[in-house]
Amino acid sequence: MIKQRLESVLHKRCTLLGVGPMSLNCVNAVIELANEYLVPIILIASRRQIDSEKFGGGYVNNWTTGQLASHVIDNDKNGRVILARDHGGPWQNACEKEAGLSLRRAMESAKSSFRADIESGFQVLHIDPSIDIHGTPTLGEVLDRICELYEYCWAQAQRLGVKILFEIGTEEQSGSTNTQEELEYTLMSMRRFCDRNTLPFPSFVVVQTGTRVIEKRNVGSFDSPIRIMDELPAEIQVPKMIEICNRYNIFMKAHNTDYLSDEALQWYPRLGIHSANVAPELGVAETLALLKLMEEQGMEDLAERFIRLAYDSNKWCKWTLPDNHIRDRDCAVVAGHYVFSTEECNEIKLEVQSRIHNKNIDLDNFLKERVKESIMRYLRNFRLVRTA
Amino acid sequence: MSHIATIVLNRNLPDITDALCDRLERIDGDLTEVFVVEAGSDDNQLSRHCTWLADWPEARIHGLRYQRGMNYALSQLYNEGRFDHYDAFFLLTNDTEFGEEPILAPLLEVLSEHPQVGLLSPCSRRWGERMLLTELDTRYFWYIHNTAYLLRREFIESIMEKEEPNHMNFLFDGSNFRGYGAESEVIAKGYANDWASAITTRAWAEENETHLLTKADLIRTETYKENLRLYLEEGRSWMRRKYGFNSRWSMQRYVKFFYDQFFEFHPEYERYQI
Repeated sequence: MIKQRLESVLHKRCTLLGVGPMSLNCVNAVIELANEYLVPIILIASRRQIDSEKFGGGYVNNWTTGQLASHVIDNDKNGRVILARDHGGPWQNACEKEAGLSLRRAMESAKSSFRADIESGFQVLHIDPSIDIHGTPTLGEVLDRICELYEYCWAQAQRLGVKILFEIGTEEQSGSTNTQEELEYTLMSMRRFCDRNTLPFPSFVVVQTGTRVIEKRNVGSFDSPIRIMDELPAEIQVPKMIEICNRYNIFMKAHNTDYLSDEALQWYPRLGIHSANVAPELGVAETLALLKLMEEQGMEDLAERFIRLAYDSNKWCKWTLPDNHIRDRDCAVVAGHYVFSTEECNEIKLEVQSRIHNKNIDLDNFLKERVKESIMRYLRNFRLVRTA
Repeated sequence: MSHIATIVLNRNLPDITDALCDRLERIDGDLTEVFVVEAGSDDNQLSRHCTWLADWPEARIHGLRYQRGMNYALSQLYNEGRFDHYDAFFLLTNDTEFGEEPILAPLLEVLSEHPQVGLLSPCSRRWGERMLLTELDTRYFWYIHNTAYLLRREFIESIMEKEEPNHMNFLFDGSNFRGYGAESEVIAKGYANDWASAITTRAWAEENETHLLTKADLIRTETYKENLRLYLEEGRSWMRRKYGFNSRWSMQRYVKFFYDQFFEFHPEYERYQI
């Protein structure tokens, strides 16, 4: 049923949009836009953002999987938001890494996370066992792990009588779908596995399309008119990968679409890219909106407190190069969303709200509107919303 | 008679140019005659191998860049009645670097094994394309961005300007000064006329961009960053003016259309399709 719904959207030459739930405001922005424009938006939660109670939830609103799902299901009046797990699999959350779990323990742990997803009403599960803290898994090992998790998730869904779609592959170097040969091999292996076990073929496959996010830029080859060393030019890579996906009747999913230019995004539906994810850009949009408001309203003290809080989280390291020379403020901007749900950030936001109370500004509403503007750029460029 | 005319583009970097020419003559000299086109170089900065000097005022001020420089050299050979002395033309910028192994013999070998290949590019060890050239060392592409191309004479003859050939029009469109997108146009014209464009790993070439980064003042060009900005801006304007394309992706789809059609008419080459 979900697959048919998505296919009907794709028939109109659109690209489906996956949005990372970067914050409560971001989740609400997705719910409101999906219902206002009656378009499907896939909410793609990583395990660091949202995980089951067993893992202590995630950094987004301190929610557990069940709490996020309840919030969405309760507020998504027309049922347009599709709940999805992004990069589910072993060692994809911090505690499995920190505990140094063995393969079997990490696989058990990943299964437990997936089970919570299915029980909570997630409809798309991205199975990504490409991470292994004990070494780099071979393509064969990655495929074996995909199959094991795939079979498990399908059995759980059958047990509960719910329909789920699967996504496989990863944009990471350690993945199984980076080159044409790897993609062909992976899809062929999956077809054999699914046929043999009477399982549905995956609906999405993540393919590297020349996108990579560093700081607040997309530095991949897709939006670069000049050659990126050691990368296949997107002019060659993208059409070939789409051809392969179409041959296997599977939707191609591009990750890390953040910060691409409008021109680049407008080519997604034209090139036939079925689906694309955006996440950190939206967290940054909310952070920048918060900082701008504080600074414009003469609350430099609070802005400085927030910058310090975000900077000290060190979460910006993931998004910067090791030898970066960016300012503390810029580091804080790319890490802001990681601290939105901390006690100190709540205190800062309450203080901001109290100081702007007489200006008739509702802080969260203001921030949500800024996030909606960022999401709208994607909805328009992907032809999901056709208004001017 | 040499099979190949190698044309090297120089502007004010005689030592680098001479080193490249010497290397070509030493290792590949039995297969090629080397020509140097001086793209508005200063009189005291000419290569020992200088063949033609573009010395008109505009060339002195702005240089020629790849497209006009190669057009100039090729049209000189044509006007001097020497164009058809060669089977192929190896077009290089002076910052191209080769190893110590022969470069032209393997390229000629590929041309002879692939009679419909009109444009052949050696691969670079820093290109992602090498990942597509593992099972087969040569395959046909719709997008090749390089500054080292071997062009078969018959291919050039099928698309060249015949009425008034000059530095603006012989093979490349010289109105696209810095040349962003120019190679795509030539590749499209090739496929539209039954000529394929290929990359091979039987020969390797690298572009040493440090000269552009560190010797911009000597070459009398803009800084690397400014040059890049102008390269894109001019190329985009050229694409829009000439084709009505507002994006490089439109150009790519245009080329790929002819590429795909080539294999419909030449199914015997399907195994070389990427």
